[in-house]
Amino acid sequence: MDLGPFEVNNSVSCRLSSQIPSLCLEQDCCLGIDEAGRGPVLGPMVYGICFCPVSKKENLKEMKVADSKTLTEAERENLFEKLDEAKSFIGWALQILSPNTISTSMLQRSKYNLNALSHDTAIGLVQFALDSGVQVKEIFVDTVGPAEKYEEKLSKLFPGITVTVRPKADSLFPVVSAASICAKVARDRVVKGWNFAEELGEVDTDYGSGYPNDPKTKAWLLKYLDPVFGYPQFVRFSWSTAQTLMENKSAAVHWDDDEEGGEKGAQRLNNKSMLSYFSSASGAAQSQTAAHRFFSDRRLKNIDTL
Amino acid sequence: MATKKKRAPSAPSDSWVVIAADSAVDPKRRDADPCFVKLKNPRTDTASLYMFGSGDTQLYEVKAFEEDFHSWFIGQTVQHDGRLLFITPLDPLYLLLPYLLHAGKEKFQPLDQLLVDENFPACSRLLSCPCSVQHLAEEKEVGSRKFYRYSQERTLDWLKKKVDRTVVALKKKNISVGEGVKSATYIKVKTESNCREEDYLRYAHGLISEYLSEDLSNALLKHLNLPELTSPKESEPPSKKRKLSDKPVEAGEDYTKFNSADFVRKPPKKMTAAQKTLAKVDKSGMKTMSSFFSPKVKK
Repeated sequence: MDLGPFEVNNSVSCRLSSQIPSLCLEQDCCLGIDEAGRGPVLGPMVYGICFCPVSKKENLKEMKVADSKTLTEAERENLFEKLDEAKSFIGWALQILSPNTISTSMLQRSKYNLNALSHDTAIGLVQFALDSGVQVKEIFVDTVGPAEKYEEKLSKLFPGITVTVRPKADSLFPVVSAASICAKVARDRVVKGWNFAEELGEVDTDYGSGYPNDPKTKAWLLKYLDPVFGYPQFVRFSWSTAQTLMENKSAAVHWDDDEEGGEKGAQRLNNKSMLSYFSSASGAAQSQTAAHRFFSDRRLKNIDTL
Repeated sequence: MATKKKRAPSAPSDSWVVIAADSAVDPKRRDADPCFVKLKNPRTDTASLYMFGSGDTQLYEVKAFEEDFHSWFIGQTVQHDGRLLFITPLDPLYLLLPYLLHAGKEKFQPLDQLLVDENFPACSRLLSCPCSVQHLAEEKEVGSRKFYRYSQERTLDWLKKKVDRTVVALKKKNISVGEGVKSATYIKVKTESNCREEDYLRYAHGLISEYLSEDLSNALLKHLNLPELTSPKESEPPSKKRKLSDKPVEAGEDYTKFNSADFVRKPPKKMTAAQKTLAKVDKSGMKTMSSFFSPKVKK
């Protein structure tokens, strides 16, 4: 697995893939989808697909692929090597969603939530397989959100393909287990060798699992909190763990789409009370002191002190 | 998102971001460093910030661009206020005018006697700015001393020229003056070929009035032969009950024109920017507005 393309710029989303086995172009294939790194506050979320001809399902079983969570890191690395070696009939593709991509998606003006991001990434990978000529006939997915809805959504998007969405699919279907191993291995490698874009000097890489409840992760987050900028791009700003720390420990930053309490917000914005529009006297008096619209439109005003 | 954070009151900062005319700074003269001063604002009579440059021979006004949710990154520092100061040349006559007016039309006085103000001691520095006071006042020379007396007539003629010049500038800079365009984005909906001369005059009058007392602004409005705008009170919508007239009811518009063929050929309306952003919102899991109004389905 060559992580080079991602490491060139780890602030964006990146796709990595194996060679497409020629067998997959000719025979009906099954395809598994799984993700790694959904929960951590640190590092990327990786989506993986794995596909092989339906006729080769047994071979996959024989390789003893299993739910990546039940395996040690060494076992996973080992299994990934095996999968990669079986390139005559197994193909894989990954989408690495950088923590920065996750932050900016979830925190943008029109919110793009993690479920939507996950669905779209999974769909993108299936489409990639189809565009590459893989004869996909069956899809197996671990669910994100309600399984029925997700299944319906995918079935509609990919007519002619049987879609099976199940919770814990990674322990039920070997092809999903394989996808989960690819995703997990990629995530581990990326997190381990993370290139910090920021000038932080020698970075303490002892950040634990990256999950919000890990004390090591929390300690690391406290250590690398900048009062102005918050965190390096390695951290998902949209996670409440990161947000709470920033709120308490760093300088307050106000955006114009902050949701503020009605009364307070109005006060800060110097809004007029609705009632004031009904008393005509004060309105007329104000128009005399208001600046000409050339200036008010351009937010220009006189000042009396610097 | 973070909510309900307390905003610190904007503390005075020790640096500012300024756009100034080149002439404000004269690198050849070390004694001519520009200097901020507080002077009487001719419109509000309160203190406003101005600047003297080139050894007091040039007057500038200071305007601040201030909008919520802005900050500066300056070098390796952050500045809390996103304020941008503009330092632009100002005709000193606008600041002299209130003092001349105040002295009245009784007697001729030398300028240095007029420009005494204990609230704004710096106003005497206006004397070193070259300006033609005879635009505002009658002049008498006795010996080597010049004496002045305020003249409303001269002042209004001078202001009218200012308005005319402003109109030229407004047209040249393509500034929207029509009543219809008050959009904050300054994007004109249609080209303003139908913009009337009166709109320009009124807009220019409004701009010049930023530098005049209210009385003078009204006098100038009359001088320009512009009718006073009807106050909002008078333009209030009529009360709901209308008196019935005896006249037969007739359609005020010719509605048949909408039946013609070219009405059909109209291209579909483009969405406004606001509608576009609304359309982009992640609506998954949201009910439609209309669903709240439809009768409940009995189960």
